[in-house]
Amino acid sequence: MGTKAVRNQIRRLRFESGEMTQQALAEQVGVTRQTIVAIEGAKYAPSLELAFRIAAAFRKPLEEVFQFHQQEEK
Amino acid sequence: MNASFEEKSVWIQLISMVGVLGSYFVVAAHMLSRGVMVVAAFVPLFFVAVVLLVVVLVAGHTVVAIASKPEGRDERDRLIGWRAERNSSWILSVGVLTAITGMVLAIPNVWIAHLLMFSMLLSEVARYVFQLVYYRRGM
Repeated sequence: MGTKAVRNQIRRLRFESGEMTQQALAEQVGVTRQTIVAIEGAKYAPSLELAFRIAAAFRKPLEEVFQFHQQEEK
Repeated sequence: MNASFEEKSVWIQLISMVGVLGSYFVVAAHMLSRGVMVVAAFVPLFFVAVVLLVVVLVAGHTVVAIASKPEGRDERDRLIGWRAERNSSWILSVGVLTAITGMVLAIPNVWIAHLLMFSMLLSEVARYVFQLVYYRRGM
């Protein structure tokens, strides 16, 4: 399963939340800034708990922040 | 360097492990090639290597901690650590099995000891490399 199957709108939502920095979001959800960078760049699919915490930070439902794209299995 | 404290820590461990223990094995290989077959002859050298390794690790982490604020491990750090360990632990297993085979074949203890230590070093180095690859390329 490729991590690119999980896409997200974090960058846009940060911008819409008063240009919230990656560091501010990281501190709010309890991870390092590099983890937020990795999630934004689709290099890391967060755990369900972290995904919920990120969605809660933006006061948005989970599916508005993260989208799952089914990939063909080779 | 745009890296977390954990990733910098992995770099420090990799470089110090390769530098210090690598040097130990270069000297030990030289001694073995000259026919030194007593395990006790390697103990002082190994002791110096371990002390040096600890000093380098402490110094490296101190410098990084001063330069950038230390952060705790998060879920990504833990997952990367687990995956890297899963991918590298077989190296130590192969080393242990080879050492057992060597004992059955009555190979001198000094070779068995170094085989075990070398497989431990390789296993650790592989773990650090996997961690760095996962940090840079993603999972």
